[in-house]
Amino acid sequence: MIEARSLTKRYGTKTALDDVSFTVRPGVVTGFLGPNGAGKSTTMRMIVGLDRPTSGSVTVNGRRYADHAAPLREVGVLLDAKAVHSGRSASDHLLAMAATHGIGKARVREVIALTGLEPVAKKRVGGFSLGMGQRLGIAAALLGDPATVILDEPVNGLDPEGVVWVRTLARHLASEGRTVFLSSHLMSEMAQTADHLIVLGRGRVLADAPVSTVIAQASGDGVRVRSPHLAQLSDLLRSRAEVVATTTDDGALDLRGVTAAQVGEAAAAQGIVLHELTPLVRSLEEAYMTLTQDSVEYHAGGTGHAGGTGHAGGAVHAGGASSAAGTASATTTGTTR
Amino acid sequence: MTTTTTPRTTGHAHTAGSGVSFARVLRSEWIKLRSLRSTAWCFAVIVVLLIGFAALGAALSSAFVGTGSTPSQQQSIAVTIITFGSPFAQLVAAVLGALVITGEYGTGMVRSTFTAVPRRTAALVAKVVLVGTSTFVVSLVALAIALLVATPLLAGQDVDVDLGDGRLWASVVGAAAAIAFTAMIAFGLGAIIRNGAGGIAAAIGVVFVLPIIFGIAQGLIGKAWIYTLNEFTPPRASARLYDYPLDGTSMITMPAVDGAVVLEPWQALLVLIGWVVVLFAVALALVKRRDV
Repeated sequence: MIEARSLTKRYGTKTALDDVSFTVRPGVVTGFLGPNGAGKSTTMRMIVGLDRPTSGSVTVNGRRYADHAAPLREVGVLLDAKAVHSGRSASDHLLAMAATHGIGKARVREVIALTGLEPVAKKRVGGFSLGMGQRLGIAAALLGDPATVILDEPVNGLDPEGVVWVRTLARHLASEGRTVFLSSHLMSEMAQTADHLIVLGRGRVLADAPVSTVIAQASGDGVRVRSPHLAQLSDLLRSRAEVVATTTDDGALDLRGVTAAQVGEAAAAQGIVLHELTPLVRSLEEAYMTLTQDSVEYHAGGTGHAGGTGHAGGAVHAGGASSAAGTASATTTGTTR
Repeated sequence: MTTTTTPRTTGHAHTAGSGVSFARVLRSEWIKLRSLRSTAWCFAVIVVLLIGFAALGAALSSAFVGTGSTPSQQQSIAVTIITFGSPFAQLVAAVLGALVITGEYGTGMVRSTFTAVPRRTAALVAKVVLVGTSTFVVSLVALAIALLVATPLLAGQDVDVDLGDGRLWASVVGAAAAIAFTAMIAFGLGAIIRNGAGGIAAAIGVVFVLPIIFGIAQGLIGKAWIYTLNEFTPPRASARLYDYPLDGTSMITMPAVDGAVVLEPWQALLVLIGWVVVLFAVALALVKRRDV
């Protein structure tokens, strides 16, 4: 159990974290999601006492990290892959870490085996690939068999096999009743691993809810229609107060606040021909963009879009069940709200 | 590479007394110190410098003395020659002392260290203790070998070393301590500065540049107070630790002007301890406050 209360961190005039509060519970995988620079790593470093909050506090299992008699047995943390001296071998690094808590060589061998580091355990860390460095970091995090595991961007630099391994590991650790907190800037990764999401943007908590809720909140499902009588259909639907209609670049109409069934029935009642009627379920990435679009620290420059609304998020067609015209158009629909 | 097998994470149960203790941190830091090549290299260079300079000095000692010098003069000559490599060994020890801590900042290892020992003090104390004691032991062994190597060579130059002389051994131990103190002073500077190049430069500045500056200042000003001030710098205090003066005249250090303080070995020891304590205290206060 990790409890953060009003964590604030300022560097001079710049506020990196602004009154961040959340609770990470045991038994589930909690994802910590946000664009680069949102403050995820700062928050994680604060949890283990490496950075001091300007104000606020954070506890693990009811105590500040530094107040635990055996911190490595309470919390295992992967902060960044190369928080290791490059001139030391992986096994010496782990032995040195283990020695601080009287953890034996047998456990060091176990975590080396667990993370698949045997072939390189005696090699110096300086020559490790990013993926190997991640594995070493995870091995160090598991040394103390901790009830809480914090992993900052654990899949960074891992090959697909390694990504699956981390995902399996995280789920397994949570199933054992541990508190698992992992960060990523990739929504798709989180969707496959996490049960609960804390979304951070520009140092603030934007969402703190189960994954499905975050997606639902941010998406607001809609319907896309194409018709030779678009204007007539548009007038018909706009008469409903709750419907928001937007014309796309290629002449389709995107509707929100109405279901595909309702559109179909309304069109049939008026004898309007439909060429396409597609329920739109926004992808996780789009949901994430919607949440964080105002809080992205560094917008990619030179794309010609106005800041914030120009994210290329392909509309994902759910099921394709009623794609009347059969064209699964993947036009970019900037999340206009 | 094993990968997608179901991970088995539980290894052992939590037991009482399973936490951080100073003895454990000391053990951890010892593993760290001896598992880096830079440590072995620095110690090897210290050994080679100490023995090499002593042997060279002994072989060429006719340049220092004529026959017919008194036994105590011969002892003083022997000490000068045996500790000939000491300033150079201090230089290497300074690099080692600074590297022990700046290497952790440079590589990011310090985050792992302070995650395991979040209160930080024990880790820093363990480091300075280990770098000090290991440098002392290595230097002492090297100087003892240097003494054994130099003794027969000196005998060939009519300098008969009396190995039963307590002052001789006090100088040998003092020279080893001077090298160890230099390593610890450099450690303090390294912990304050954090950057590897900066830490090493500062430490070398203290060991090598400071005496040059004082040499110039003494030449230009020549007042007693500047000589006195120089006595309290780490390199001069180090030299006083293994000096073997005859009738108040040192063979190692320049003659002081009238009225200037000249430190006794025990005073020099206190001055060096003072330097280590003050620098370490500043380093500790900063390290405990800083984000890493």
